[in-house]
Amino acid sequence: MSRQIVIQPVTRIEGHAKISIQLDDSGQVQSANFHVTEFRGFEKLCEGRPFQEMPGLMSRVCGICPVSHVLASSKAGDMLLGVEIPPAAEKQRRLVNYAQILQSHALSFFHLSSPDLLLGMDAPAAKRNIFGLLEKDTDFLRKGIRLRQFGQRVIELVGGKRIHPSWSGPGGVHLRFSVEQRDEILAWIPEAVDSISMALDRLKGLLDSFHVEVEHMGNFPSLFLATVNGQGSLEYYEGLIRIVDGKGNTIADGLDPRRFFTFLGEASEDYSFVKFPFYLPFGYPQGHYRVGPLARLNVAKFAGTARADRELREFKHRGADQECEGVVCESFHFHLARLIEMLHCVERIEELMTDPDLFGENTQAKASLNRREGIGSCEAPRGTLFHHYWVDKDGLMTKADLLIATAQNNQAMNLAVEQTARHFLRPAANGAPPDEGMLNRLEAAIRCYDPCLSCSTHALGQMPLIVELTGPGGILLRRITRESCFEHS
Amino acid sequence: MIATGNRLRRDDGVAQSVLERLGPASGGVETRALLQLTPEVAEDIAPYDAVIFIDADAGATELGLAQLDELPSSAVLTHVSRPADIVALSRALFGFTGRAFLCRIPVDDLSLGEGLSRRASAIAAQATEMVRALLSSPDTN
Repeated sequence: MSRQIVIQPVTRIEGHAKISIQLDDSGQVQSANFHVTEFRGFEKLCEGRPFQEMPGLMSRVCGICPVSHVLASSKAGDMLLGVEIPPAAEKQRRLVNYAQILQSHALSFFHLSSPDLLLGMDAPAAKRNIFGLLEKDTDFLRKGIRLRQFGQRVIELVGGKRIHPSWSGPGGVHLRFSVEQRDEILAWIPEAVDSISMALDRLKGLLDSFHVEVEHMGNFPSLFLATVNGQGSLEYYEGLIRIVDGKGNTIADGLDPRRFFTFLGEASEDYSFVKFPFYLPFGYPQGHYRVGPLARLNVAKFAGTARADRELREFKHRGADQECEGVVCESFHFHLARLIEMLHCVERIEELMTDPDLFGENTQAKASLNRREGIGSCEAPRGTLFHHYWVDKDGLMTKADLLIATAQNNQAMNLAVEQTARHFLRPAANGAPPDEGMLNRLEAAIRCYDPCLSCSTHALGQMPLIVELTGPGGILLRRITRESCFEHS
Repeated sequence: MIATGNRLRRDDGVAQSVLERLGPASGGVETRALLQLTPEVAEDIAPYDAVIFIDADAGATELGLAQLDELPSSAVLTHVSRPADIVALSRALFGFTGRAFLCRIPVDDLSLGEGLSRRASAIAAQATEMVRALLSSPDTN
């Protein structure tokens, strides 16, 4: 008799989700899907509001990466005004974006994924958390918490508060950057570099023991999409889109993110509230692509900062050994890519501290409404983010469309879940639940992408995951519901 | 004192209302209003002699203010932490040696919107007096 396994809730991710696995009569995995089960419709809330309110409103989409939404929204507002913002404003936005990527990646790596990496995929579920890490390696955990603290502190210093900073809006930013802020930030830099270097060494030392997971937890060729600057290096705030394939071929380059709707489409499936974006010329589903840390490192020719470039060269060799020349296709290496990006962000933050533009007095370009359509994009921690707004003659929002990073990884997460299930899942013949380590690997495959489901559905609330096991005809045979890991606040 | 909650989820903002009712912090007391508790708060509280967490609790049936059970309460600590988790982390990682208290305020309206329900507003007044009494007691001095 065929069966279906359902994991619900998926833990240590941001949002509501479940995994369902369909088994055939012989107990082999027939198919597997990652379902996002929350719905919010945030875009609808915007209609009728003044576009100037959008950065503040959009930041509420997410408590983890609100800065990304503030920046994309502010840039859409800049376009509606038809202005080029002052250098001080641009540098502040860049600074806060680096800080946000740093803190978000620190959360993903140290708090959410390190329990799997340091304690093992098969460690008891009750131990696979940061209290388990506390027993294993106090110094590692302390460094992780302080790294996130650093990122949060920069956001607070520049943006006014750690979560939902509202210092940026159409035309620029509302606050000036001071020498005192610079000095406090500079004082953090050596410790941050040291902590990330420690984590990099630790992870690289662990990879051999995870070679099966590296090989079978979401290892497949795909397109990769990211923003790069004019020289082809990592770029997080303003640049052009490049798409490469799984063999390193450049599929498209120099694409204007403000015209994203001309080269990206969105499909939907009835089992998920998250859309399935795809590269239009390739169609759906062949045109699915990945974004985020792995994509950015695959797409960029170099990082542009010394330490990160050394790591990036080594990283690209992981792809050079395979058919994919210089392109790393293993989802597991999102973790490594995340750490390299953290190093790069700290280096860029340090560079900005000596940039006189950052201290400029003029932080606002004044203008009234000059366009009826505005688009803003940036690289968010989880990938490329697009905000597309339409306004009436009075500047009131008539429509908003958000293309979120996590949604762009949706198809890849589904493929990763299916590949992981096919390799690792061995349901007991007597109907007993699958081994806990097997289930954890299914979740870990998703955690590689650090999905933010609140963002991708623009939803709020709790973040459980469900795994369902179904048999022929869709008969539910087993449902496993995990403890929610998110309180009401 | 750390007040946790989201003022855009009605009664979830009750802790911040308590902070406002207590008035400006003085006498070595510092206050912070947070949307949610995150692990880095463990470092923030480390230098203090005592910490009082104030939070809305949809599962509570009555107002309570008590010394915190410091056993970590959750097997899964991720984007949001519980006060006991924060205190445990702070003791283990950052040398916190002070006392910790939790004021739990029962609420039932966590819908989208601003403003407290009548019930939450009344309980906030009681919670304010409770916290004020604790602040003036030897336990926290």
